[in-house]
Amino acid sequence: MEKVLEISNLSKNYGRITAVKDLTLDVGPGHVFGILGPNGSGKTTTLSIITGIIAADTGSYRWFGQETHAGIRKNIGSMIEVPNFYPYLNLIRNLNIVARIKGKDLSDIDRVLKLVNLWDRRKSRFDTLSLGMKQRLALSAVLLGEPSVLVLDEPANGLDPEGIAEVREIILREREKQKTIIMASHILDEVEKVCTHVAVLKNGESISQGRVHELLTADDPVIVLCEEAGRLKDEIVRAGLSESIEMKDNELVIVLSKGKSARDINEFAFSKGIVLDHLETRKKSLESKFLELVK
Amino acid sequence: MRSVLLNEITKTWSFTGFRVIMILHFALFFLVVLVASTMDIAVPGFSTRNLYQFPNIWEYFPWVASWFNLLLAILIIVMTGNEYSFRTFRQHVVDGFSRSQLLSGKAFLILMIGIYSLLMVLLFTLVFGFIFSSDYSDGAFINKSYILLVYFVQAIAYMSAGFFLAVLFRNTALAIILFILYRLIIEPVIRLIFPPEARLYFPMKSISNLTPLPEFLSIFSGNQQGTDAADSLSFREMGLLAEDLPVLVNLVLALGYTCIFISLAYLLLRKRNL
Repeated sequence: MEKVLEISNLSKNYGRITAVKDLTLDVGPGHVFGILGPNGSGKTTTLSIITGIIAADTGSYRWFGQETHAGIRKNIGSMIEVPNFYPYLNLIRNLNIVARIKGKDLSDIDRVLKLVNLWDRRKSRFDTLSLGMKQRLALSAVLLGEPSVLVLDEPANGLDPEGIAEVREIILREREKQKTIIMASHILDEVEKVCTHVAVLKNGESISQGRVHELLTADDPVIVLCEEAGRLKDEIVRAGLSESIEMKDNELVIVLSKGKSARDINEFAFSKGIVLDHLETRKKSLESKFLELVK
Repeated sequence: MRSVLLNEITKTWSFTGFRVIMILHFALFFLVVLVASTMDIAVPGFSTRNLYQFPNIWEYFPWVASWFNLLLAILIIVMTGNEYSFRTFRQHVVDGFSRSQLLSGKAFLILMIGIYSLLMVLLFTLVFGFIFSSDYSDGAFINKSYILLVYFVQAIAYMSAGFFLAVLFRNTALAIILFILYRLIIEPVIRLIFPPEARLYFPMKSISNLTPLPEFLSIFSGNQQGTDAADSLSFREMGLLAEDLPVLVNLVLALGYTCIFISLAYLLLRKRNL
């Protein structure tokens, strides 16, 4: 299956500051790829490089297996940082400009404005819109001409909860159309709800990447309650079933070795004649996972 | 290319600042030539009305219009500065324009404004020329009309310089201030360091020399160049004006500087992050 985007050993420095360091990642078709990281981790720089507004110092990237040129960008809907439009033009005229650049049919403007609920404001000047409306207008520009790939940098930035929900709904709708979406976000809950894959950046480097599900379940702790917690702990350590194990009263918090599951612990305890009162896998949120990673 | 042109028209025409500066440019030029036409200082042998007659008007109107080229350059700086302050150059690249298309848009704008100013001066020259002239013979009517094209090159050159400064500084106010300072103070001071013959080759000097001060004394006296009487009333003969380079040389220099300004702007657009 052809990759939509391949980034190889990408680096970018601003003077002595390293914005992106040796970044390598692949995005496949239909992936909703989240780029996470604290402020200054290189998310926006990475997206700016792949959308052509910043040149990388070293490394390369390829869209659809091709060397990048302006023509390729016409088929990628991108929104980097804040919405950029002419403040003195109305929404229709601003979108006319975008549609002409992308070589898309001007008639599609009506569709995208209705999609983001801005049709009623189509004749308003851009500078009269609220921040949320501006963000939605930027999304409508991204969706012009139904591009197969969307690149979104903080799409819910500055939006109220209702606005965030609206943006999420739009992204989910696009995901259902099997579009590839690459998005940087601070809102981890959003990423968890929307993304299929994720890369976590710290100081410009990728410190973790993979499927969201795998990343979340990789080291989820198993919680065990039993009368013989001390004996069970010793047996588990002896058998090498855990990466780490903590005991507090009758409760054990076990981070399992690779390939082991809560079921294995249950069978193991049974084989040792230990009765378990309670057994559960505690799911970590992406947020706690993220905080652990970037610490 | 069509999308570049249509987009440039959309964003330029709807911009209030553009309309204000264009109206100001038109009104100021019209007012100056109109007011000056009503003030005839006539003493025996001299008349300022001669300025409005063919072929002198071909020299006089482009010279007056050249005073307002600064406005055209400021207009280009504002329109280019807008692209940086609204971050729309950046957005255009994200949406699929190449850097050369960004340049083409502004080059088209410069050309359009140049054509507008050319047509404006042509219109006023013809209207005032026919009102004030009595000699419509072919020679008098066409003679010196080439200066209008020279004026066109001058307007393009000034606007290209403005465009380059706007791309260089990415800040409208700074670019305008530096353009004016360079034009009025910095280059004249630098020129003083050089020998007189070298001073004529500086960018602003060679561009402004395209529409030199008309020979008022010989025009007022009604004498035409080439006669002994005209020569005796020439500012240059009297040592009041420095020698200029031939128009053709100034034209080549101005076109050369225009190419340099545009090429440097393109280089900056290519090399820098947006």
